[in-house]
Amino acid sequence: MLTLRELQLDFAAQVYDDEARGMDTRLRANGLTGARRLQVYRNNHLSSLTEALHAVYPVLHRLVGEKFFEHLATHYVRAYPSRCGDLHEFGAQVPELVSAFPGMEALPYVRDVASLEWSYHEVFHAAEHAPLDVARLASIAPQRYGELKFSMHPASRLLESPYPVLRIWQANQPDYGGDGVVDLQTGANRILVIRRALDVEFELLDRGDHAFLSALRDGKDFTAASDAASAVQSDFDVGAALQDFVARLVVVDFAL
Amino acid sequence: MPAAYKELQASREARCRTQSRAGIGLRAEHYRDVIEQRPPVGWLEIHSENYFGAGGRPLHYLDRIRADYPISLHGVGLSLGSTDPLSATHLRNLKALVQRCEPMLISEHLAWGSVAGRHFNDLLPLPYHPDTLRHMVERVGQVQDYLQRPILIENLSSYLEYSASDIPEWEFLAELARRSGCGILLDVNNVYVSARNHGFDAQEYLRGIPPHLVREIHLAGHTVKTFPDGELLVDTHDQRVTAAVWSLYRDATRRFVNVPVLIEWDAQLPALEVLVNEAQQAQTLLSETYADIA
Repeated sequence: MLTLRELQLDFAAQVYDDEARGMDTRLRANGLTGARRLQVYRNNHLSSLTEALHAVYPVLHRLVGEKFFEHLATHYVRAYPSRCGDLHEFGAQVPELVSAFPGMEALPYVRDVASLEWSYHEVFHAAEHAPLDVARLASIAPQRYGELKFSMHPASRLLESPYPVLRIWQANQPDYGGDGVVDLQTGANRILVIRRALDVEFELLDRGDHAFLSALRDGKDFTAASDAASAVQSDFDVGAALQDFVARLVVVDFAL
Repeated sequence: MPAAYKELQASREARCRTQSRAGIGLRAEHYRDVIEQRPPVGWLEIHSENYFGAGGRPLHYLDRIRADYPISLHGVGLSLGSTDPLSATHLRNLKALVQRCEPMLISEHLAWGSVAGRHFNDLLPLPYHPDTLRHMVERVGQVQDYLQRPILIENLSSYLEYSASDIPEWEFLAELARRSGCGILLDVNNVYVSARNHGFDAQEYLRGIPPHLVREIHLAGHTVKTFPDGELLVDTHDQRVTAAVWSLYRDATRRFVNVPVLIEWDAQLPALEVLVNEAQQAQTLLSETYADIA
Protein backbone atom coordinates (compact mmCIF):
# COMPACT_ATOMS: atom_id res chain seq x y z
CA MET A 1 0.00 0.00 0.00
CA LEU A 2 1.11 3.57 -0.65
CA THR A 3 2.35 5.60 2.26
CA LEU A 4 0.43 8.76 3.03
CA ARG A 5 3.26 10.81 1.55
CA GLU A 6 3.23 8.87 -1.71
CA LEU A 7 -0.51 9.28 -1.94
CA GLN A 8 -0.26 13.03 -1.35
CA LEU A 9 2.49 13.43 -3.96
CA ASP A 10 0.50 11.43 -6.51
CA PHE A 11 -2.67 13.36 -5.74
CA ALA A 12 -0.87 16.68 -6.22
CA ALA A 13 0.81 15.58 -9.47
CA GLN A 14 -2.38 14.27 -10.99
CA VAL A 15 -4.83 16.92 -9.82
CA TYR A 16 -2.70 20.05 -10.10
CA ASP A 17 -0.09 19.11 -12.73
CA ASP A 18 -2.21 16.88 -14.98
CA GLU A 19 0.24 13.98 -14.70
CA ALA A 20 -1.28 10.50 -14.93
CA ARG A 21 -0.49 8.85 -11.59
CA GLY A 22 -3.38 6.41 -11.48
CA MET A 23 -5.13 8.35 -8.71
CA ASP A 24 -8.54 7.81 -10.30
CA THR A 25 -8.10 4.04 -9.90
CA ARG A 26 -7.30 4.41 -6.21
CA LEU A 27 -10.70 5.82 -5.41
CA ARG A 28 -13.77 3.92 -4.34
CA ALA A 29 -15.96 3.26 -7.38
CA ASN A 30 -19.29 4.78 -6.48
CA GLY A 31 -21.41 6.38 -9.19
CA LEU A 32 -19.32 9.20 -10.59
CA THR A 33 -15.98 8.41 -12.21
CA GLY A 34 -12.74 9.00 -10.35
CA ALA A 35 -11.73 11.55 -12.97
CA ARG A 36 -14.92 13.54 -12.30
CA ARG A 37 -14.29 13.53 -8.55
CA LEU A 38 -10.68 14.68 -8.97
CA GLN A 39 -11.87 17.39 -11.33
CA VAL A 40 -13.90 18.94 -8.50
CA TYR A 41 -10.69 19.45 -6.53
CA ARG A 42 -8.86 20.80 -9.59
CA ASN A 43 -11.65 23.34 -10.17
CA ASN A 44 -11.92 24.34 -6.50
CA HIS A 45 -8.20 25.01 -6.35
CA LEU A 46 -8.13 27.12 -9.49
CA SER A 47 -11.26 29.09 -8.63
CA SER A 48 -10.25 29.85 -5.04
CA LEU A 49 -6.75 30.97 -6.04
CA THR A 50 -8.13 33.02 -8.93
CA GLU A 51 -10.51 34.65 -6.49
CA ALA A 52 -7.63 35.39 -4.11
CA LEU A 53 -5.75 37.11 -6.96
CA HIS A 54 -8.86 39.05 -7.95
CA ALA A 55 -9.19 40.31 -4.37
CA VAL A 56 -5.65 41.74 -4.47
CA TYR A 57 -5.69 42.88 -8.12
CA PRO A 58 -9.14 44.39 -8.82
CA VAL A 59 -7.73 47.12 -11.10
CA LEU A 60 -5.69 44.64 -13.13
CA HIS A 61 -8.88 42.59 -13.42
CA ARG A 62 -10.75 45.62 -14.77
CA LEU A 63 -7.99 46.56 -17.18
CA VAL A 64 -7.64 43.16 -18.82
CA GLY A 65 -11.21 41.89 -18.38
CA GLU A 66 -12.66 38.81 -16.70
CA LYS A 67 -11.67 36.26 -19.35
CA PHE A 68 -8.08 37.38 -19.73
CA PHE A 69 -7.67 37.68 -15.98
CA GLU A 70 -8.73 34.04 -15.59
CA HIS A 71 -6.23 33.10 -18.29
CA LEU A 72 -3.50 35.03 -16.43
CA ALA A 73 -4.49 33.46 -13.10
CA THR A 74 -4.36 29.94 -14.55
CA HIS A 75 -0.79 30.59 -15.70
CA TYR A 76 0.14 32.22 -12.44
CA VAL A 77 -1.12 29.36 -10.29
CA ARG A 78 1.12 26.97 -12.25
CA ALA A 79 4.17 29.18 -12.64
CA TYR A 80 4.19 30.45 -9.07
CA PRO A 81 2.54 27.81 -6.86
CA SER A 82 1.25 28.89 -3.49
CA ARG A 83 3.86 28.36 -0.76
CA CYS A 84 1.80 29.23 2.25
CA GLY A 85 -1.36 28.18 4.04
CA ASP A 86 -2.17 31.86 4.44
CA LEU A 87 -3.57 32.99 1.10
CA HIS A 88 -2.66 36.62 1.84
CA GLU A 89 0.92 35.69 0.93
CA PHE A 90 -0.15 34.55 -2.53
CA GLY A 91 0.25 36.76 -5.60
CA ALA A 92 3.49 38.70 -5.04
CA GLN A 93 4.89 37.82 -8.48
CA VAL A 94 1.91 38.90 -10.56
CA PRO A 95 3.73 42.07 -11.75
CA GLU A 96 6.59 39.85 -12.91
CA LEU A 97 4.21 37.55 -14.78
CA VAL A 98 2.31 40.32 -16.57
CA SER A 99 5.47 42.15 -17.62
CA ALA A 100 6.30 39.36 -20.06
CA PHE A 101 2.89 37.88 -20.72
CA PRO A 102 1.80 37.30 -24.33
CA GLY A 103 -1.04 39.67 -25.20
CA MET A 104 -0.01 42.39 -22.75
CA GLU A 105 2.25 44.33 -25.14
CA ALA A 106 -0.45 46.94 -25.77
CA LEU A 107 -0.72 47.73 -22.05
CA PRO A 108 2.87 48.54 -21.03
CA TYR A 109 1.73 50.25 -17.79
CA VAL A 110 -0.02 47.16 -16.43
CA ARG A 111 3.05 45.80 -14.66
CA ASP A 112 3.36 49.00 -12.61
CA VAL A 113 -0.36 49.11 -11.86
CA ALA A 114 -0.05 45.54 -10.56
CA SER A 115 2.97 46.56 -8.43
CA LEU A 116 0.88 49.39 -6.99
CA GLU A 117 -1.89 46.92 -6.10
CA TRP A 118 0.55 44.52 -4.42
CA SER A 119 2.04 47.46 -2.45
CA TYR A 120 -1.47 48.43 -1.38
CA HIS A 121 -2.12 44.85 -0.23
CA GLU A 122 1.12 44.66 1.78
CA VAL A 123 0.60 48.07 3.34
CA PHE A 124 -3.00 47.20 4.26
CA HIS A 125 -1.78 44.31 6.47
CA ALA A 126 1.52 45.80 7.72
CA ALA A 127 2.31 46.79 11.29
CA GLU A 128 1.44 50.05 13.00
CA HIS A 129 4.26 52.27 14.31
CA ALA A 130 4.55 55.16 16.75
CA PRO A 131 5.98 58.49 15.54
CA LEU A 132 9.75 59.01 15.71
CA ASP A 133 11.01 59.77 19.20
CA VAL A 134 12.20 63.35 18.67
CA ALA A 135 13.70 63.66 22.16
CA ARG A 136 15.87 60.65 21.47
CA LEU A 137 16.99 62.21 18.20
CA ALA A 138 17.82 65.47 19.99
CA SER A 139 20.16 63.55 22.29
CA ILE A 140 22.38 62.52 19.37
CA ALA A 141 25.52 64.60 18.90
CA PRO A 142 25.13 66.69 15.68
CA GLN A 143 28.48 65.53 14.28
CA ARG A 144 27.04 62.00 14.13
CA TYR A 145 23.86 62.87 12.20
CA GLY A 146 25.43 61.79 8.93
CA GLU A 147 25.78 58.22 10.17
CA LEU A 148 22.15 57.88 11.29
CA LYS A 149 20.09 55.27 9.54
CA PHE A 150 16.48 56.40 9.46
CA SER A 151 13.75 53.91 8.78
CA MET A 152 10.42 54.32 7.08
CA HIS A 153 7.01 53.39 8.48
CA PRO A 154 6.57 49.59 8.22
CA ALA A 155 3.26 50.22 6.44
CA SER A 156 4.83 52.14 3.56
CA ARG A 157 6.15 51.28 0.10
CA LEU A 158 7.71 53.31 -2.72
CA LEU A 159 6.97 52.90 -6.37
CA GLU A 160 8.27 54.59 -9.51
CA SER A 161 6.78 54.28 -12.96
CA PRO A 162 7.21 56.05 -16.31
CA TYR A 163 3.37 56.02 -16.54
CA PRO A 164 0.67 57.90 -14.62
CA VAL A 165 -0.27 54.75 -12.71
CA LEU A 166 -1.95 56.57 -9.85
CA ARG A 167 -4.42 58.19 -12.29
CA ILE A 168 -5.00 54.79 -13.88
CA TRP A 169 -5.62 53.24 -10.46
CA GLN A 170 -8.02 56.03 -9.47
CA ALA A 171 -9.93 55.92 -12.75
CA ASN A 172 -10.56 52.21 -12.17
CA GLN A 173 -12.07 52.42 -8.70
CA PRO A 174 -15.71 51.38 -8.31
CA ASP A 175 -16.68 54.83 -6.97
CA TYR A 176 -14.76 56.85 -9.59
CA GLY A 177 -16.87 59.61 -11.11
CA GLY A 178 -14.59 61.02 -13.86
CA ASP A 179 -14.50 60.32 -17.58
CA GLY A 180 -11.95 57.52 -17.23
CA VAL A 181 -9.61 59.05 -19.79
CA VAL A 182 -5.96 58.93 -18.76
CA ASP A 183 -3.34 60.50 -21.00
CA LEU A 184 -0.37 58.14 -20.85
CA GLN A 185 1.90 61.06 -21.77
CA THR A 186 1.07 62.97 -18.56
CA GLY A 187 4.30 61.75 -17.12
CA ALA A 188 6.02 59.55 -14.62
CA ASN A 189 4.70 58.82 -11.15
CA ARG A 190 6.76 58.47 -8.00
CA ILE A 191 4.36 57.21 -5.38
CA LEU A 192 4.46 56.70 -1.64
CA VAL A 193 1.91 54.12 -0.48
CA ILE A 194 1.37 54.52 3.24
CA ARG A 195 -1.07 53.55 6.00
CA ARG A 196 -0.80 55.72 9.10
CA ALA A 197 -4.06 54.60 10.72
CA LEU A 198 -6.60 52.38 8.97
CA ASP A 199 -6.76 53.74 5.44
CA VAL A 200 -4.12 53.21 2.79
CA GLU A 201 -3.13 56.51 1.17
CA PHE A 202 -1.15 57.44 -1.93
CA GLU A 203 1.12 60.47 -2.14
CA LEU A 204 2.96 61.68 -5.21
CA LEU A 205 6.60 62.50 -4.50
CA ASP A 206 9.09 64.90 -6.05
CA ARG A 207 12.21 63.50 -7.58
CA GLY A 208 14.35 64.46 -4.57
CA ASP A 209 11.96 63.12 -1.94
CA HIS A 210 11.69 59.86 -3.79
CA ALA A 211 15.47 59.46 -4.08
CA PHE A 212 15.89 60.35 -0.40
CA LEU A 213 13.28 57.84 0.82
CA SER A 214 14.47 55.12 -1.55
CA ALA A 215 17.95 55.47 -0.09
CA LEU A 216 16.59 55.19 3.45
CA ARG A 217 14.54 52.15 2.47
CA ASP A 218 17.69 50.56 1.05
CA GLY A 219 19.49 51.03 4.38
CA LYS A 220 21.68 54.00 3.39
CA ASP A 221 22.77 56.45 6.08
CA PHE A 222 21.63 60.07 6.25
CA THR A 223 24.62 61.43 4.33
CA ALA A 224 24.23 58.96 1.50
CA ALA A 225 20.48 59.58 1.34
CA SER A 226 21.01 63.36 1.20
CA ASP A 227 23.56 62.92 -1.58
CA ALA A 228 21.19 60.70 -3.54
CA ALA A 229 18.45 63.34 -3.29
CA SER A 230 20.75 66.27 -4.20
CA ALA A 231 22.01 64.35 -7.21
CA VAL A 232 18.55 64.34 -8.78
CA GLN A 233 17.30 67.69 -7.41
CA SER A 234 19.94 70.39 -6.88
CA ASP A 235 17.78 72.55 -4.57
CA PHE A 236 16.82 69.62 -2.28
CA ASP A 237 16.59 70.85 1.32
CA VAL A 238 17.37 67.74 3.34
CA GLY A 239 16.68 69.31 6.76
CA ALA A 240 13.21 70.47 5.75
CA ALA A 241 12.50 67.14 4.05
CA LEU A 242 13.45 65.09 7.10
CA GLN A 243 11.38 67.28 9.39
CA ASP A 244 8.40 66.95 7.07
CA PHE A 245 8.72 63.14 6.78
CA VAL A 246 8.98 62.80 10.56
CA ALA A 247 5.92 65.02 11.06
CA ARG A 248 3.95 63.02 8.50
CA LEU A 249 4.93 59.62 9.97
CA VAL A 250 6.84 58.57 6.86
CA VAL A 251 10.11 58.33 8.79
CA VAL A 252 9.45 56.75 12.17
CA ASP A 253 12.69 55.46 13.63
CA PHE A 254 16.47 55.63 13.44
CA ALA A 255 19.53 53.67 14.50
CA LEU A 256 23.12 54.68 14.93
CA MET B 1 -2.49 15.83 27.05
CA PRO B 2 -1.64 17.48 30.37
CA ALA B 3 -4.67 17.53 32.68
CA ALA B 4 -3.90 21.13 33.63
CA TYR B 5 -4.69 22.63 30.28
CA LYS B 6 -7.70 20.43 29.81
CA GLU B 7 -9.12 21.80 33.04
CA LEU B 8 -8.35 25.36 32.06
CA GLN B 9 -10.17 24.77 28.79
CA ALA B 10 -13.20 23.34 30.60
CA SER B 11 -13.56 26.50 32.66
CA ARG B 12 -13.03 28.67 29.57
CA GLU B 13 -15.85 26.85 27.79
CA ALA B 14 -18.08 26.86 30.86
CA ARG B 15 -17.98 30.66 30.94
CA CYS B 16 -19.37 30.74 27.41
CA ARG B 17 -22.00 28.03 27.57
CA THR B 18 -24.23 28.14 30.60
CA GLN B 19 -26.80 27.82 27.90
CA SER B 20 -25.13 27.56 24.55
CA ARG B 21 -25.82 30.14 21.93
CA ALA B 22 -25.78 30.24 18.19
CA GLY B 23 -23.01 32.27 16.56
CA ILE B 24 -22.08 33.46 13.09
CA GLY B 25 -18.90 33.66 11.07
CA LEU B 26 -17.43 37.19 11.13
CA ARG B 27 -16.49 38.48 7.68
CA ALA B 28 -14.75 41.76 6.80
CA GLU B 29 -17.83 43.03 4.92
CA HIS B 30 -19.77 42.98 8.21
CA TYR B 31 -17.26 44.63 10.58
CA ARG B 32 -19.05 47.97 10.72
CA ASP B 33 -22.52 46.46 10.95
CA VAL B 34 -21.47 44.19 13.81
CA ILE B 35 -20.06 47.15 15.73
CA GLU B 36 -23.01 49.44 15.03
CA GLN B 37 -25.87 46.94 15.26
CA ARG B 38 -24.53 44.59 17.94
CA PRO B 39 -26.49 41.66 16.49
CA PRO B 40 -28.12 39.28 18.99
CA VAL B 41 -25.79 36.33 18.45
CA GLY B 42 -23.88 34.48 21.15
CA TRP B 43 -20.42 34.52 19.61
CA LEU B 44 -18.43 35.07 16.43
CA GLU B 45 -16.00 32.87 14.59
CA ILE B 46 -13.10 34.08 12.45
CA HIS B 47 -10.82 32.35 9.99
CA SER B 48 -7.50 32.45 11.83
CA GLU B 49 -5.39 33.16 8.74
CA ASN B 50 -7.31 36.37 7.98
CA TYR B 51 -5.74 37.86 11.11
CA PHE B 52 -2.13 36.75 10.59
CA GLY B 53 -1.13 40.21 9.31
CA ALA B 54 0.98 42.48 11.50
CA GLY B 55 -1.62 45.27 11.75
CA GLY B 56 -4.32 47.24 10.00
CA ARG B 57 -8.06 46.93 9.66
CA PRO B 58 -8.59 43.20 10.40
CA LEU B 59 -6.85 43.30 13.81
CA HIS B 60 -8.29 46.72 14.61
CA TYR B 61 -11.85 45.46 14.17
CA LEU B 62 -11.10 42.17 15.86
CA ASP B 63 -9.87 44.01 18.97
CA ARG B 64 -13.04 46.10 19.05
CA ILE B 65 -15.42 43.23 18.41
CA ARG B 66 -13.86 40.82 20.87
CA ALA B 67 -14.65 43.28 23.64
CA ASP B 68 -18.34 42.52 23.01
CA TYR B 69 -18.45 38.91 21.84
CA PRO B 70 -16.67 35.63 22.59
CA ILE B 71 -14.51 34.71 19.60
CA SER B 72 -13.53 31.32 18.22
CA LEU B 73 -10.69 30.69 15.79
CA HIS B 74 -11.21 28.44 12.80
CA GLY B 75 -8.10 27.59 10.80
CA VAL B 76 -8.20 26.70 7.12
CA GLY B 77 -4.54 26.65 6.14
CA LEU B 78 -2.50 24.70 8.71
CA SER B 79 -2.55 21.55 6.55
CA LEU B 80 -2.67 19.35 9.62
CA GLY B 81 -2.85 16.10 7.65
CA SER B 82 0.11 16.86 5.37
CA THR B 83 3.30 14.81 5.58
CA ASP B 84 5.38 18.01 5.38
CA PRO B 85 6.49 19.35 8.76
CA LEU B 86 4.00 21.76 10.30
CA SER B 87 4.90 25.34 9.40
CA ALA B 88 6.64 27.03 12.32
CA THR B 89 5.57 30.44 11.00
CA HIS B 90 1.96 29.38 10.76
CA LEU B 91 1.99 28.02 14.31
CA ARG B 92 3.68 31.16 15.60
CA ASN B 93 1.08 33.36 13.92
CA LEU B 94 -1.70 31.22 15.31
CA LYS B 95 -0.32 31.37 18.83
CA ALA B 96 0.08 35.15 18.64
CA LEU B 97 -3.56 35.41 17.58
CA VAL B 98 -4.65 33.10 20.41
CA GLN B 99 -2.83 35.32 22.88
CA ARG B 100 -4.33 38.43 21.35
CA CYS B 101 -7.99 37.41 21.35
CA GLU B 102 -8.20 34.62 23.96
CA PRO B 103 -10.65 32.57 21.91
CA MET B 104 -13.23 30.31 23.53
CA LEU B 105 -12.44 27.60 20.96
CA ILE B 106 -9.75 26.87 18.36
CA SER B 107 -10.48 24.53 15.48
CA GLU B 108 -8.70 22.94 12.53
CA HIS B 109 -9.74 20.38 9.88
CA LEU B 110 -9.41 16.66 9.37
CA ALA B 111 -7.64 17.39 6.09
CA TRP B 112 -4.38 18.06 4.30
CA GLY B 113 -3.64 20.91 1.90
CA SER B 114 0.03 20.86 0.99
CA VAL B 115 2.88 18.55 0.04
CA ALA B 116 6.55 19.09 -0.82
CA GLY B 117 6.25 22.78 0.03
CA ARG B 118 3.35 23.45 -2.33
CA HIS B 119 0.05 24.62 -0.89
CA PHE B 120 -3.26 24.02 -2.58
CA ASN B 121 -5.22 26.18 -0.13
CA ASP B 122 -7.98 23.61 -0.07
CA LEU B 123 -9.23 21.02 2.41
CA LEU B 124 -8.27 17.67 0.91
CA PRO B 125 -9.51 14.34 2.28
CA LEU B 126 -7.24 11.82 3.98
CA PRO B 127 -7.37 8.06 3.63
CA TYR B 128 -8.87 6.70 6.85
CA HIS B 129 -6.38 4.07 7.83
CA PRO B 130 -4.50 3.19 11.06
CA ASP B 131 -1.27 4.76 9.73
CA THR B 132 -3.05 8.02 8.96
CA LEU B 133 -4.67 7.93 12.38
CA ARG B 134 -1.27 7.66 14.08
CA HIS B 135 -0.02 10.53 11.93
CA MET B 136 -3.00 12.74 12.82
CA VAL B 137 -2.75 11.94 16.55
CA GLU B 138 0.87 13.05 16.47
CA ARG B 139 0.12 16.23 14.51
CA VAL B 140 -2.82 17.26 16.70
CA GLY B 141 -0.55 16.61 19.69
CA GLN B 142 2.12 18.91 18.25
CA VAL B 143 -0.37 21.74 17.81
CA GLN B 144 -1.91 21.31 21.27
CA ASP B 145 1.48 21.16 22.95
CA TYR B 146 2.57 24.28 21.13
CA LEU B 147 -0.60 26.22 21.91
CA GLN B 148 -0.90 24.72 25.39
CA ARG B 149 -4.61 24.20 24.75
CA PRO B 150 -6.79 21.51 23.26
CA ILE B 151 -8.12 22.16 19.78
CA LEU B 152 -11.19 20.89 17.93
CA ILE B 153 -11.00 18.93 14.70
CA GLU B 154 -13.73 19.33 12.10
CA ASN B 155 -15.03 16.73 9.64
CA LEU B 156 -14.93 18.05 6.08
CA SER B 157 -17.13 17.75 3.01
CA SER B 158 -15.47 15.36 0.59
CA TYR B 159 -15.99 14.48 -3.03
CA LEU B 160 -14.03 11.23 -3.13
CA GLU B 161 -13.13 8.26 -0.96
CA TYR B 162 -9.83 6.39 -1.22
CA SER B 163 -9.94 2.62 -1.66
CA ALA B 164 -7.25 2.50 1.03
CA SER B 165 -9.71 3.84 3.63
CA ASP B 166 -10.76 1.02 5.90
CA ILE B 167 -12.16 2.98 8.86
CA PRO B 168 -15.42 4.95 8.59
CA GLU B 169 -14.82 8.68 8.96
CA TRP B 170 -16.85 8.93 12.19
CA GLU B 171 -14.80 6.19 13.82
CA PHE B 172 -11.58 7.80 12.66
CA LEU B 173 -12.63 11.17 14.06
CA ALA B 174 -13.81 9.74 17.38
CA GLU B 175 -10.61 7.73 17.78
CA LEU B 176 -8.49 10.75 16.92
CA ALA B 177 -10.27 12.71 19.66
CA ARG B 178 -9.88 9.91 22.21
CA ARG B 179 -6.18 9.43 21.54
CA SER B 180 -5.10 13.06 21.13
CA GLY B 181 -7.43 14.69 23.64
CA CYS B 182 -8.81 17.06 21.01
CA GLY B 183 -12.52 17.82 20.77
CA ILE B 184 -14.73 17.47 17.71
CA LEU B 185 -16.24 20.27 15.69
CA LEU B 186 -19.10 18.46 14.03
CA ASP B 187 -20.11 20.10 10.78
CA VAL B 188 -23.63 18.80 10.22
CA ASN B 189 -23.74 20.15 6.66
CA ASN B 190 -20.50 18.31 5.90
CA VAL B 191 -21.92 15.09 7.34
CA TYR B 192 -24.94 15.50 5.07
CA VAL B 193 -22.88 16.41 1.98
CA SER B 194 -20.41 13.54 2.40
CA ALA B 195 -23.21 11.06 3.23
CA ARG B 196 -24.96 11.96 -0.02
CA ASN B 197 -21.71 11.94 -2.04
CA HIS B 198 -20.54 8.57 -0.72
CA GLY B 199 -23.82 6.86 0.07
CA PHE B 200 -23.40 6.36 3.82
CA ASP B 201 -26.06 6.93 6.46
CA ALA B 202 -25.82 10.35 8.13
CA GLN B 203 -27.67 8.99 11.20
CA GLU B 204 -25.07 6.25 11.59
CA TYR B 205 -22.40 8.98 11.47
CA LEU B 206 -24.08 10.89 14.31
CA ARG B 207 -24.50 7.68 16.34
CA GLY B 208 -20.81 6.91 15.85
CA ILE B 209 -19.65 10.13 17.53
CA PRO B 210 -19.54 9.99 21.34
CA PRO B 211 -21.61 12.97 22.59
CA HIS B 212 -19.08 14.23 25.12
CA LEU B 213 -16.44 14.79 22.41
CA VAL B 214 -18.46 17.36 20.42
CA ARG B 215 -17.74 20.96 21.50
CA GLU B 216 -19.00 22.89 18.52
CA ILE B 217 -21.36 22.40 15.59
CA HIS B 218 -21.24 24.06 12.17
CA LEU B 219 -24.11 24.65 9.76
CA ALA B 220 -23.80 26.01 6.22
CA GLY B 221 -25.36 25.96 2.79
CA HIS B 222 -24.24 23.67 -0.03
CA THR B 223 -24.80 23.40 -3.78
CA VAL B 224 -25.88 20.42 -5.87
CA LYS B 225 -23.77 19.98 -9.03
CA THR B 226 -25.27 17.78 -11.70
CA PHE B 227 -23.11 15.87 -14.18
CA PRO B 228 -24.12 13.49 -17.01
CA ASP B 229 -23.12 10.53 -14.81
CA GLY B 230 -24.67 11.69 -11.55
CA GLU B 231 -24.53 14.49 -9.01
CA LEU B 232 -22.27 15.76 -6.26
CA LEU B 233 -23.05 18.01 -3.35
CA VAL B 234 -20.43 20.73 -2.97
CA ASP B 235 -19.82 22.61 0.27
CA THR B 236 -20.07 26.16 -1.06
CA HIS B 237 -21.05 28.19 2.05
CA ASP B 238 -22.91 30.55 -0.27
CA GLN B 239 -26.55 30.16 0.74
CA ARG B 240 -29.02 29.30 3.46
CA VAL B 241 -28.88 25.99 5.30
CA THR B 242 -31.11 23.50 3.45
CA ALA B 243 -34.20 21.89 4.99
CA ALA B 244 -32.53 18.47 5.02
CA VAL B 245 -29.56 19.85 6.96
CA TRP B 246 -31.85 21.64 9.45
CA SER B 247 -33.57 18.32 10.01
CA LEU B 248 -30.26 16.53 10.56
CA TYR B 249 -29.25 19.33 12.95
CA ARG B 250 -32.48 18.79 14.91
CA ASP B 251 -31.43 15.14 15.33
CA ALA B 252 -27.93 16.22 16.29
CA THR B 253 -29.19 18.53 19.06
CA ARG B 254 -30.81 15.52 20.76
CA ARG B 255 -27.55 13.63 20.84
CA PHE B 256 -25.11 16.53 21.30
CA VAL B 257 -26.93 18.55 23.92
CA ASN B 258 -26.23 22.22 24.48
CA VAL B 259 -23.34 22.56 22.07
CA PRO B 260 -22.57 26.02 20.57
CA VAL B 261 -23.60 26.15 16.93
CA LEU B 262 -22.32 28.38 14.14
CA ILE B 263 -23.72 29.59 10.82
CA GLU B 264 -20.95 29.71 8.20
CA TRP B 265 -21.37 31.84 5.10
CA ASP B 266 -18.31 32.73 3.03
CA ALA B 267 -19.30 33.38 -0.58
CA GLN B 268 -22.12 35.52 -2.06
CA LEU B 269 -22.23 37.07 1.39
CA PRO B 270 -25.68 38.50 2.21
CA ALA B 271 -26.61 41.31 4.61
CA LEU B 272 -25.73 40.67 8.24
CA GLU B 273 -29.40 40.25 9.19
CA VAL B 274 -29.71 37.19 6.94
CA LEU B 275 -26.93 35.48 8.89
CA VAL B 276 -28.44 36.58 12.18
CA ASN B 277 -31.77 35.19 11.06
CA GLU B 278 -30.19 31.82 10.27
CA ALA B 279 -28.48 31.86 13.65
CA GLN B 280 -31.83 32.54 15.33
CA GLN B 281 -33.30 29.48 13.63
CA ALA B 282 -30.43 27.42 14.97
CA GLN B 283 -30.90 29.00 18.38
CA THR B 284 -34.56 28.00 18.43
CA LEU B 285 -33.73 24.36 17.72
CA LEU B 286 -30.86 24.38 20.19
CA SER B 287 -33.00 25.90 22.96
CA GLU B 288 -35.95 23.59 22.30
CA THR B 289 -33.96 20.42 22.86
CA TYR B 290 -32.06 21.96 25.75
CA ALA B 291 -35.37 22.80 27.45
CA ASP B 292 -36.70 19.27 26.76
CA ILE B 293 -33.71 17.59 28.26
CA ALA B 294 -32.59 20.00 30.97
